[in-house]
Amino acid sequence: MKKFSHLAIPYIVWSLIMLLLPMLLLVLYAFTETGNDIVTFSFTLKYFKKFFTDPDFLLVLWRSLKIAFKTTVICIFLAYPVAYFIANSSDKLRNILVLAITLPMWINMLVRTYAWIGLLSDGGILQRLLEMLGFGTHKLLYTEGAVLLGMVYNFIPFMILQINTSLCKMDKSLKEASFDLGANRVQTFFKVTLPLSLPGVVSGISLVFLPAVSSFFIPKLLGGGQYFLIGNIIENQFITVGEWNFGSAISMIMAVIMMCSMYLVRRIEDRVSGNKKEETARK
Amino acid sequence: MKKSFVLGAVAVLCAAALTGCGGSKDEGKKYAGQTLHIYNWGEYTGENLFEMFEEKTGAKVVMDIFDSNEQMYIKVANGDAFDILVPSDYMIERLISEDLLQKLDKSKLTCMDKLSDGVKGLPYDPENEYSVPYFWGTVGIVYDKTKVDMADLEKDGFGIFANPKYKGDIYLYDSERDSFMMALKHLGYSMNTSDVNELNEAYEWLVQCVNTMEPEIVTDEIIDSMAQGRKALGLVYSGDAAYIMSENENMGFYMPESGTNLWSDGMVIPKNAENPELAHEFINFVSEYEGALDNSVTVGYTSPNKQVMEELSGEGGDYEGIDAYIPRTGNENDEVFVYDEETRKVISELWSKVKIAASNA
Repeated sequence: MKKFSHLAIPYIVWSLIMLLLPMLLLVLYAFTETGNDIVTFSFTLKYFKKFFTDPDFLLVLWRSLKIAFKTTVICIFLAYPVAYFIANSSDKLRNILVLAITLPMWINMLVRTYAWIGLLSDGGILQRLLEMLGFGTHKLLYTEGAVLLGMVYNFIPFMILQINTSLCKMDKSLKEASFDLGANRVQTFFKVTLPLSLPGVVSGISLVFLPAVSSFFIPKLLGGGQYFLIGNIIENQFITVGEWNFGSAISMIMAVIMMCSMYLVRRIEDRVSGNKKEETARK
Repeated sequence: MKKSFVLGAVAVLCAAALTGCGGSKDEGKKYAGQTLHIYNWGEYTGENLFEMFEEKTGAKVVMDIFDSNEQMYIKVANGDAFDILVPSDYMIERLISEDLLQKLDKSKLTCMDKLSDGVKGLPYDPENEYSVPYFWGTVGIVYDKTKVDMADLEKDGFGIFANPKYKGDIYLYDSERDSFMMALKHLGYSMNTSDVNELNEAYEWLVQCVNTMEPEIVTDEIIDSMAQGRKALGLVYSGDAAYIMSENENMGFYMPESGTNLWSDGMVIPKNAENPELAHEFINFVSEYEGALDNSVTVGYTSPNKQVMEELSGEGGDYEGIDAYIPRTGNENDEVFVYDEETRKVISELWSKVKIAASNA
């Protein structure tokens, strides 16, 4: 097998150029002043200071984290039953259902989000439906609810697929053993199925939380120009203001926050599944 | 002036379809077999314009689309060759100063005397040596006559966007240039000021506006939304206002006495154009009655061609009785935008902060 390891070289070169180099540039930009040439750099922390001393920026950051957290929680609670149902259906049905979940992802996210604008807009289908059902006239588009809906809608397939995979990988005989030992369905679910599916939930969380916290086009389209999340600030710094250094600094702050939150989630997962292992070992 | 890129994409397809049917019956025409490359805004040409031009000259038209002057600038400055560009006033000024345009051959231009005086010889190109106007207009307030008191408009001008009476009933346009124009003009300053204190004052005014008025900050959605009368007040380009008013008779257009932005987009020929001869032909064609009429009827912006403008706004015209169609001339407070990179940076940063303030409000 060893002679094949050379085949990895193109991949390594590729990731160096396409992943590592941009990251290094980002870090470099974040710590340097505008207007450097290649030879001289003046290092500075002023962009970090600018971010952390302005309550407006911090408020946007807080709101971004909050809405990403809400998105993730809603996704978990909606996705788990769906994934559970898919994992427990017959092979044929499962393939169809997985296809049904992935099918919308073949269409570009931007296009699907645009479609929501039409559905949510004033005088749109949803607003009229609510009126007809007697809920009164509500403004749907350009609200935080619309952004939340857009995020859950766009990111939930990732959660479903991850949980579904870990449920399918599970050894069915463990469940049978649990029944044999006298546990009922509820007990089996909480003692066996749930802990074993946690790795799926955790990778689902990272696939939902990370894009949600840095998303910029969903808030832009569904929240309107007056609804800013941290992703919009970064986009703005790069595209319209032209302050690449400040934009890079915010991106770096976000990267650190994301890494910390992922580390935390993994720790919790380790602890939960680790405890279970010990318990089973003791028994 | 700005069209969303989705519309742009649609227009690309249309342009492709149009150019596709050029036909081979053009043998013997002067420009048969030649191609004209145009770089233009999306949704910014008449529906039959290219067909008519191809019919007349035998040449084939290929159009690329941009959605901001800056995007166009990058491509042109990097050496992409086009025969015709349609940038806005300040960008024409920048292209001239960076020596990217060629002088027009006046002997080949037969159209200049047909254009309105108000749109000729503007400061960005005083002798029209480099550019021929394509569309022009102003920026103003579109308002719902049934909800807005004319006296408020006359008293407040752009200040009506901070009048608590209309709280929650206004649209702002998500463009730093137009928003700061509004604020600076309201405060009685020049829209081209680079004075940091004046800019900060404008910033404070905008922040106060977004904090107290619950505005929606939108881009081109404003056109349909105002046409459907969703809100009482919005900041729009006059050409869009003309469209809105032709769709909804309750809408009016008001330009504050304190002045506004007089803008124009013009056709220019870049230095590296491959077919300047044909480009001159196109400029003439667009500026003459037939081409100008088709453009203005489809797009709704004001034609620089005097006859077309008068006909469309006159009796029986598409824009009869719609004052937004005729740009205001003669108000000494009206200004043409002048490009200045430093100020642009300051304004974009401040506008970004205004939007953050709006989202935290």
